[in-house]
Amino acid sequence: MSRHQDLPIRKKLSRVILLTCTIVLLMACASLAAYEVFDFRRAIARDSTVLAEILGKNTRAALAFEDDVAAQEMLNALQAEPHVVSAGLYNREGGLFVHYIRSQTSITLPAHPEGDGHRFENGELLVFRPVVLRGKRIGTIYLQVDLAVINSRLWLFGAIAGIILIIALLVALVLSHRLQRPITDPLLALADTAQVIAQRKDYSVRAIKQGNDEIGTLTDAFNAMVTGIQERESALHAEIAERKLAEHRVQAQLARLDQLHQITRATGERQDLRSIFQVVVRSLEDHLPVDFCCMCLYDEAGHTLTVTSVGVNSESLAAELALTENSTIPIDQNGLSRCVRGELVYEPRIADVYFPFPQRLARGGLNALVAAPLLIESKVFGVLIAARRQSASFSSGECEFLKQLSEHVALAAHQAQLYGALQQAYDDLRQSQQTILQQERLRALGQMASGIAHDINNAISPVTLYTESLLDTEPNLSPRARDYLTTIQHAMEDVAQTVSRMREFYRQREPQLSLLPVDLNRLVDQVLNLTRVRWSDMPLQNGVVIELQTELAQALPSILGIESEIREALTNLIFNAVDAMPNGGTLTLRTRINANSTQVQVEIIDTGIGMNDDTRRRCLEPFFTTKGERGTGLGLAMVYGTLQRHGAEIEIDSTLGRGTTMRLLFPVPSATPATPVVISSAPATSRLRLLIIDDDPLIIRSLSNALESEGHDVCAASGGQAGIDAFIKAQNTNLLFDIVITDLGMPYVDGRKVSAAIKAASPRTPVILLTGWGERMTAEGDIPPHVDQVLSKPPKLRELRSSFVHLLNGAPPRSSSPGTDNPLAP
Amino acid sequence: MLCLVCGLLWFTASPPLVAAPSAPAREYQVKAVFLFNFLQFVEWPATVFPDQNSPIRIGVLGDDPFGSALEEAVRDEAINHRRLIVNRSHRVEDLRDCQLVFISKSENRRIDAILPLLNSHPVLTVSEVEGFARHGGVIAFYQDGKKVRFEINIGTAQRLGLKMSSELLRLGKIVGQESLTGDFSK
Repeated sequence: MSRHQDLPIRKKLSRVILLTCTIVLLMACASLAAYEVFDFRRAIARDSTVLAEILGKNTRAALAFEDDVAAQEMLNALQAEPHVVSAGLYNREGGLFVHYIRSQTSITLPAHPEGDGHRFENGELLVFRPVVLRGKRIGTIYLQVDLAVINSRLWLFGAIAGIILIIALLVALVLSHRLQRPITDPLLALADTAQVIAQRKDYSVRAIKQGNDEIGTLTDAFNAMVTGIQERESALHAEIAERKLAEHRVQAQLARLDQLHQITRATGERQDLRSIFQVVVRSLEDHLPVDFCCMCLYDEAGHTLTVTSVGVNSESLAAELALTENSTIPIDQNGLSRCVRGELVYEPRIADVYFPFPQRLARGGLNALVAAPLLIESKVFGVLIAARRQSASFSSGECEFLKQLSEHVALAAHQAQLYGALQQAYDDLRQSQQTILQQERLRALGQMASGIAHDINNAISPVTLYTESLLDTEPNLSPRARDYLTTIQHAMEDVAQTVSRMREFYRQREPQLSLLPVDLNRLVDQVLNLTRVRWSDMPLQNGVVIELQTELAQALPSILGIESEIREALTNLIFNAVDAMPNGGTLTLRTRINANSTQVQVEIIDTGIGMNDDTRRRCLEPFFTTKGERGTGLGLAMVYGTLQRHGAEIEIDSTLGRGTTMRLLFPVPSATPATPVVISSAPATSRLRLLIIDDDPLIIRSLSNALESEGHDVCAASGGQAGIDAFIKAQNTNLLFDIVITDLGMPYVDGRKVSAAIKAASPRTPVILLTGWGERMTAEGDIPPHVDQVLSKPPKLRELRSSFVHLLNGAPPRSSSPGTDNPLAP
Repeated sequence: MLCLVCGLLWFTASPPLVAAPSAPAREYQVKAVFLFNFLQFVEWPATVFPDQNSPIRIGVLGDDPFGSALEEAVRDEAINHRRLIVNRSHRVEDLRDCQLVFISKSENRRIDAILPLLNSHPVLTVSEVEGFARHGGVIAFYQDGKKVRFEINIGTAQRLGLKMSSELLRLGKIVGQESLTGDFSK
């Protein structure tokens, strides 16, 4: 079937016509043949019946008289009829009487006759007819007729039909070939045209119309279609060209985007401006590419540009144009001024621009220039300059690219700046975090120290009291005893000072210190004497010699300060210097004044092991020590605190293995204040009746003894409640106490309750609160109500005397008088 | 005298005759049918029959060899709407009306006498006497092997006014009149 469809239309038409002819002819022949067969059979049946009738008539007598010879004779006459294959004559009873069989055939006749009539069977006709004599049946005649003749007739007929068919087909072939041309020729012409168009893609070809039938209409439609295709194709070509152009642009844009991306990434990885610029310049030179590229920073004040980065390939040209790194370009009234106002400047032909900078570039053979501003928050901080030798060689896409690139670079630069600022902020934050941490440490230490101080103050109270009492009240002391007692008194004062300073770690000292003039030369001498054991005796025991040098400046002005603190600081520094010289060396102490007499310097110089940078940086931190278990890490920290309180500075010069110089720089006060009058001994008051309340028997005893030796009448009570009871009891007996001295911290009933009870009973009786916490109380303004005076432990007779005078003279100070030498209890 | 002789003959021939009435021999059954058939192939002049419905009479002259066979052969038969009647007699006069007369062998000796009597009008004479046809009879049976055949003397038949069918003539053996006397007398 598909083969049929592939055939040319001519053959198809011919086939259709021939097939139609063939079918029609065959149908005609077949119907004729069928009629022929039918007619022949009818004729032969009739003929045979007639023959049988005749035979019956001719043989009926023979049959009647059973004359088989005669009957046989009759039948044998059938030899003249070649179609008759066999014949039989049956008698009345149905028995075969005589029969005839055509020669050379072997046929058996039916044993008995069948019903009258004829039938066709196996290509033969069987006829049975009755043999009648005078209207009476006397037998049956049988004929078997061969129909082969019909077949031969059919063959003949078929042969004739075949010949007719062939002739008819030939005629049809010729006719169809001639007659189909009006249909096929235009169609083939149309097909040829279509093929020509398809092969050559030439849509200008048109088919030729040959008539106004359907094919003509088809040709018109085809031509209209080709016209449409032609128009659409030309439109398509135009569009494709346009799209290719657009695609090309997009590709270029994408390439630049990619480059932008790479540059952006590269700059993003860098944190400093210079390397960011370098990356940009290199990338532009290599990939855009440009012949000259540099980055400039804008100096707004000077109205100049400073070249900061020049591309590797641009360097020779830059040297030629005097545009090397760090060279400056004045901004003239050309593109650069527009650029620093934030515009992208593109000069396609700089030779035409009569301004110095473009002319400079033009002299280097450059012709096209792009200057892109670098903006941070709409402020120009730099300019990107790119140039090419070929004039007008920057496309709008490239300009746009450079503009975007400059924005990215500016952003990266901004980020680098932000990063720097962030880093700075982070460092500051870490610094303050460490300070806070340090303060927190000190606060904890202070709290601990406060407790320790309280206990120490209590413990040394008897020593202080007895020593002072002995020195004041025993005129007959041997000079040696007096000397010893004085030393003890100094040592105790130092202990008390030390203890009080321990608490200073956690709390800024009030600025208004009671600073006193201090002679540093004298103090150095004192300290050297105090520490002699340490720098001389102890090393000598180990065979180590430390040589001491003192270079004390003459006429050194006094400074304002706290002698004990400075002494402590110097002691600490001397100890450190000795510790730094385990194998001996030279210890030098030097005082001097600077050129304009504004600073007094004290230098403690050793020739010891020295410090590395890290140690030097951290040595002032609290708890930082290089001495292992031996050191507390507080020495230098306390020194530093002391110096800060005095408004002094410290300089540390140290070289590892060469030694360390600690230089203390004290400011010289503009005018030395008058030395206040030190009340060495308060005017003795009259004999007073005193009540002492404390839970510490040692204190009660020492204080009682001391005050009794002053001539006072002292009554002591152990504990708060006992004190109140004693006061009430005395009041009831009209023996009023003049002054009550009570401890603050006592079990059950503390100093506050005691003073409140006493004021309730006798509002006019002064109450002195004696406390190991006194420093803190006064510092924090925490003087409890009902208390007239707070004195800190260890109590000093001088202070007590002075307080007695003030309290009884009706002008009771709320705190320690400024006249005392206790600088820590303002 | 004749009767005596006949009776004597009859006696001598009695054994087969005795059996005849009950079971006629095959030969006579065939001959009975032949007699009937002859009637169908022979036409008599119309004058023979008094009217349209006059029966055809078959006469058996002499001793009847057929027994019942003849009656059986003609039973329920009719030719040209004429019934068939069998008459038997020893006397020629009795059989004058018959259209066919079978002359039995018993009349062998009287043939010459009988024939002139019968041949005076159209009567089909049949006999099994040898040479009967050549000697004035019309049809004579004879044995051809086992078969029964017959001779026809067409001259006699024509003379008697009998029309013999060609079919019958084709089957029979045609003989001529040799001499009316001669053999019979011998």
